[in-house]
Amino acid sequence: MTEIKRRDFLKVLGVSGAGATMTGCGPGEVEKLLPYVVQPEEITPGVATWYATTCGCPDGCGLWVRTREGRAVKIEGNPDHPISQGSVCLQGHASLQHLYNPDRFAGPMIREGDRFRQGTWDEAERLLASRINQATAAGRDVMFVGGHMGPTMSRLVDQFVESVGGSRVEYHAVSNAPLREATRIAYGTDEVPQYDIGASDFLLSFGNDFIDDGSVEGGRGLAKMSGVDEAGHSKGAFAYIGPRLSTTGLNADEWVPVEPGSEAVIALAMAAHIAGGNASGPYANLLRAYSMADAASASGIDEEALRDLADRFAAASSPLAMGPGVGGHHRNATAANLAVLILNDVAGAVGRTVHVGRGSTAASAPFSDMADAIGQMAGGGVGVVLMHGANPAYSLPTGSGFQDAFDEVPFKVSFASAMDETAAMADLIMPDRHFLESWGDAMPRRGVHTVQQPVMQALPHFDSKQTGDALLAVASHLGNDLGATTFYEYLRAPHLAMHADDPAGFEQMWQGHLRSGMFGMMGGGGGMGANAPQLRAPDQALTFDAPTFDGSHDLTLLVHPSPRFRGGEFSNSPWMLELPDPVSKITWHSWLEMNPVTAEARGIREGDIVTVSSDHGSVDVPVWVYPGVHEGVVALAMGGGHTDMGRWATGAGVNAMDLLPAAAEQASGAFVTVATTVSVMPTGERRRMATIEGSSDQRDRPIAPAVAFMDLGHAEDDHGEEGGHHDELMELQGFGGVQPVPAEDGAATAFPLPGADHGLYADAHEGPRWGMAIDLDKCTGCSACVVACHSENNVPWVGEDQVVMGRDMTWMRIERYYEHVDASHASHLDVRFLPMLCQHCGNAPCEPVCPVYATYHTPEGVNAQVYNRCVGTRYCANNCPYKVRVYNWYRYTDENVPEPMNWQWNPDVTVRTNGIMEKCSFCMQRIKDAENRAALEEGRDVRDGEIVPACQQSCPAEAIVFGNLRDPEARVSQILESERTYKVLDELINTQPAVNYLKKVTFHEVSGGH
Amino acid sequence: MAVGTTERGALTHPDVHRLDDVNRDVLKMLTVPGKGWWALFGMCVAGVGLFLTAWFWQIYKGIGVSGLMSPVGWGVYITTFVFWVGIAHSGTLISAILFLFRAPWRQSIYRAAEAMTVFAVMTAGLFPLIHVGRVWHAYWLIPYPNSRFLWPNFKSPLVWDVFAVTTYFTVSAVFFYLGTIPDVAAARDRATGLRRKLYSVIALGWQGTDRQWHHFGKAYIFLAALATPLVLSVHSVVSWDFAMSIVPGWHATIFAPYFVAGAIFSGVAMVITLTVPLRKVFGLEAYLTVKHFDAMAKLCLFTSLIVFYAYLSEFFLAWYSGEDPERHAFWNRLFGTYWWATWTMLVCNGFVPVMLWFKRIRHSIPALFVISIFVNIGMWFERYVIVVTSLHNEYEPFAWGIYRPSIVEMSIMVGSFFWFGFWFLLFTRLLPPIAIQELKEVLPPPMRKKKSPEAAEAH
Repeated sequence: MTEIKRRDFLKVLGVSGAGATMTGCGPGEVEKLLPYVVQPEEITPGVATWYATTCGCPDGCGLWVRTREGRAVKIEGNPDHPISQGSVCLQGHASLQHLYNPDRFAGPMIREGDRFRQGTWDEAERLLASRINQATAAGRDVMFVGGHMGPTMSRLVDQFVESVGGSRVEYHAVSNAPLREATRIAYGTDEVPQYDIGASDFLLSFGNDFIDDGSVEGGRGLAKMSGVDEAGHSKGAFAYIGPRLSTTGLNADEWVPVEPGSEAVIALAMAAHIAGGNASGPYANLLRAYSMADAASASGIDEEALRDLADRFAAASSPLAMGPGVGGHHRNATAANLAVLILNDVAGAVGRTVHVGRGSTAASAPFSDMADAIGQMAGGGVGVVLMHGANPAYSLPTGSGFQDAFDEVPFKVSFASAMDETAAMADLIMPDRHFLESWGDAMPRRGVHTVQQPVMQALPHFDSKQTGDALLAVASHLGNDLGATTFYEYLRAPHLAMHADDPAGFEQMWQGHLRSGMFGMMGGGGGMGANAPQLRAPDQALTFDAPTFDGSHDLTLLVHPSPRFRGGEFSNSPWMLELPDPVSKITWHSWLEMNPVTAEARGIREGDIVTVSSDHGSVDVPVWVYPGVHEGVVALAMGGGHTDMGRWATGAGVNAMDLLPAAAEQASGAFVTVATTVSVMPTGERRRMATIEGSSDQRDRPIAPAVAFMDLGHAEDDHGEEGGHHDELMELQGFGGVQPVPAEDGAATAFPLPGADHGLYADAHEGPRWGMAIDLDKCTGCSACVVACHSENNVPWVGEDQVVMGRDMTWMRIERYYEHVDASHASHLDVRFLPMLCQHCGNAPCEPVCPVYATYHTPEGVNAQVYNRCVGTRYCANNCPYKVRVYNWYRYTDENVPEPMNWQWNPDVTVRTNGIMEKCSFCMQRIKDAENRAALEEGRDVRDGEIVPACQQSCPAEAIVFGNLRDPEARVSQILESERTYKVLDELINTQPAVNYLKKVTFHEVSGGH
Repeated sequence: MAVGTTERGALTHPDVHRLDDVNRDVLKMLTVPGKGWWALFGMCVAGVGLFLTAWFWQIYKGIGVSGLMSPVGWGVYITTFVFWVGIAHSGTLISAILFLFRAPWRQSIYRAAEAMTVFAVMTAGLFPLIHVGRVWHAYWLIPYPNSRFLWPNFKSPLVWDVFAVTTYFTVSAVFFYLGTIPDVAAARDRATGLRRKLYSVIALGWQGTDRQWHHFGKAYIFLAALATPLVLSVHSVVSWDFAMSIVPGWHATIFAPYFVAGAIFSGVAMVITLTVPLRKVFGLEAYLTVKHFDAMAKLCLFTSLIVFYAYLSEFFLAWYSGEDPERHAFWNRLFGTYWWATWTMLVCNGFVPVMLWFKRIRHSIPALFVISIFVNIGMWFERYVIVVTSLHNEYEPFAWGIYRPSIVEMSIMVGSFFWFGFWFLLFTRLLPPIAIQELKEVLPPPMRKKKSPEAAEAH
């Protein structure tokens, strides 16, 4: 093992040397292995270099990528980026695993019979050029099918397609087409509007799952809006209207569990109710046609509850309603989105919380375009298909006919960087580079233009080429001049043209762009913001009533994008596969969500494998019994069931597309995901679920308590409420029983045990006491912190069988406790998310039991784990009441991590071996880094806010704050002044944790202070 | 019972008439073994093979080949460790404590019981090694001088455990060895060839002189006095592995006496389990009489009552604590995932031994044998229940989990019985399993008096 590590080290040293000298150079440079004879300017061994770039998905979050000795090891958000503001989603963190994916193609692949042969780029490019020539000569189309790409790349593709006389089709497996179409109908703006969730005080989501969609901005906004403001005594309300609670839904204060497809009617009825008799404008007649009684009968919800909701929505000073997202795309999805826009308009939200004119068109291509393209392919009119950034062979149902049509095409080219179902059918594969290795730009929203630059030399394992370069090379073989020879030049050209007179000034400006990651805020961000746009009359006929569903089975199937895999493009990542789903807490495999009532009626238990059949196909999948899904609905996430997508994704779960028709919504052409009814039949087989969930009932233990909003500010009363427990203690003392240990002066210095100034705790009264505050009212359960922690701390993944056994290694888990989830009628919702990590107890149960001092208390109050001292008795884990210690049952870090996945390891953190215990270290390496920096560079103590653990850094909700508890000025200490502060289980076992939580705030009464 | 000085031996061993018989009957066990012995021994060797194979596989692959998981970090290994430590108890109890109290019925069984103790501690001592994740570093638990001045954590009950178990092993082994010296000398005098040489070395030149007997007696009393507190301390310390933690279901003040009683209970049961076949195979009915078994059965019954009382008190105190984690831990024992283990424990340890109230059952060797097997099983499950059910549903409900022992764990657990059997079978052939000299002490002295009719016939 050591020998391999040494080799790796030498390789990295060499490659990074080369990378360092060439940072900022375009691809195609000659690689040289250089030892550190002459120190490269930008790299100091052992010190990280950060590069700004832009993330790959349509949200286009700004990134700061941490590189060590020339390899990317950690992804963080760019705090200056207007959309992400320093956070990244799960998939953003996990993009490192796609970069270092061992399943990437070693080079261009040319089909020979049933197999692929690795060729050279020149060979591949000439082959493609000749086939394009053949196709055009035969009068056949050259079709470029592309997913999301940046504006410059998009321009290049257009230019390329034009130069060969071909056509271009945009295809997004997960698309916001109905919302875009609805916005076009309502306001004449062809875009997805921007919602300012943070600015609202009453959020109504009609099945819009913005957190599940990975919207960092959405998560941040929700936390801002629904997090309690104790000083101002305000808190935004959030109601979720939909048949299934997603992660987003679980954050709501109330849940209106409607029949699927009834959103439009409810929205219109609410709008009509709010407008009263005064409805005006182009939709006045429409509003008159819908009453609360209609809404009640369509949705199955009590009329009074809907009316009450509408009244409160209207009364809000800054309301916001969001139409159904991909998880709610039924056959009338555009109408539903339009109805919600009307509701926003009536409630006065447009212009305040709904901004039309500065949204985006990203990822909103309709499926109907692809359906037309399939028709053309099947008709034999297409000679060459270039497939980029899309995997329709997986993400479309068989009924779409894609696979057969694609097969018809004489020459199929895929630009996939690793094998996927579509690439497997291709004749030529020209592997694209990962976005962290390539040049580009992004414009996720009008006015926001960001840089995408390579943060490291392309991985030497894979002979890849960024598609822009490949297209330019092919174009030159075809004799077309597209204006540049490399994509880097192509990207710079327009900027250079603007500064043609001042090349030196341009270089300086360009360096500035690269450093900030931004091309600046161009074109103004305001749009039509100030004046609310007027509704227009619809230009096409829409049906607002409940949509039809295929088949006549008794349950409606709801197919939604996975919060981890989205449409399936992120599936081949062990971090994503092993990350517990934020809702179900299941890893690796697929599951069918079913209401407990429905399951009981059918005699189905959790873990029973059932056959789900629609008129279009069937799959076998285990049932997960979930109270957060409507009784008439079963739900299945996308992203599972890959048949050919690398070693991890292949065979993990089932593909929901096998159950769906290839239906396009009539108005927008969007792919319909809530399309069919299904029947569910038990197969008689069972399986153990790969879940991390033990019990979702906290049994009234002091784990994740809540406080009612109306009780805030009445601290004495609260005390009275909790008195029940204290009275009991007092009573026991009457019998000579329990004597609670008094904490002397609060959390910061609490070491009240006798002998606390000796031995392990001797220095505990000096220096900082590191601690944390986690605001449960802000935490959305999105789980980005978990992936960030994996990435930062070299936390291994263990595989499905190990998770089934209960051996997941995560240092941080988001616990999810149900307090009140009722799918039978509209009522308050109370689900508590609790990020659980090592509590770094002041009186730690794990420390005294370790026979070899492998775990001990540092003078700074951190509960440290000395890996190489650990013998592996596991006593500490037994004695940890929080169960945050995880154990290396096997050599997970050796055996599970193939080259070059191991390039991701953070060199600042020990990679742990077999047989030892590990746990959260409060990112000790970051504490030491900040302390050393402060001491060495400026000769001072570390300042508050300089130490940011990975979890805090990634949290869009800003729910986590780390700092010195002993410093009364520190932000963490300030936050902990709150009356909501509590420590998990502390009153029961006197562990005195350094991690403090702030209780969730509910609008309903909570019992017993819990 | 009224015991006349001349007749006390006759009382315990009414069918042994002459001191010569003792030597003959006991030492004949050391002669060429029969087919049955070889069959058993072969089985044990195979079992030891299984034991070692499974263990080496685990060292090679990692502790992951067990079924252990989070939150159940201790499972079958610790269960079996505590089980064997428990077994080890009655040996010293019978040999040391009963010696000091001059209990007349101990002589026939104490040698076997002591051997059982030594081998059981040998077996038990392996389990912490099997259990740890990095056995090659297990010596770090021992305080030894090193250049980095690293010491074990003396606050940790596991370090106490190391001391308790090694001390117990040392003392019981020395005590066992000391007691065998006069008997080995007797065996030496009869043996020939290699055996004679071996026994000569082991017997340390024992001649049976008055002076030697004098020293022997003194040393034996001293060691008995030294071993006596260990009987109580070892299992107390082992119980503190649990009681010193904060795990609901472990953290209880009752644990030390509860574990000591349980240990004696299981140890006596194991002595019965071992001596019944020994008596049968070697025809020792005259030496291991029904009265001996009756006495052991009474001890079993007594400790069973203590153990059952401890169970009830645990349940009561869990309820009385008023805390959900405690209450749930015990409710979960009875009706949770592992209800079957708990009920096995209650039936085997609480209900089956009730039969021992009846004299007829106490005097029926087959019944005692069956009951002792039940107790052995019950006591293994007692530890399983304590270890596993407490851990699997602890404070944090979201982190609850279910542990299923793996085939490797079960192989090692089963293999440990063969490992024990291997040594015990060797013992029955190499050392006198019944203490010759102590038996002779309690037999009527060979005095010239009126001959009993049987003795007359024998001559």
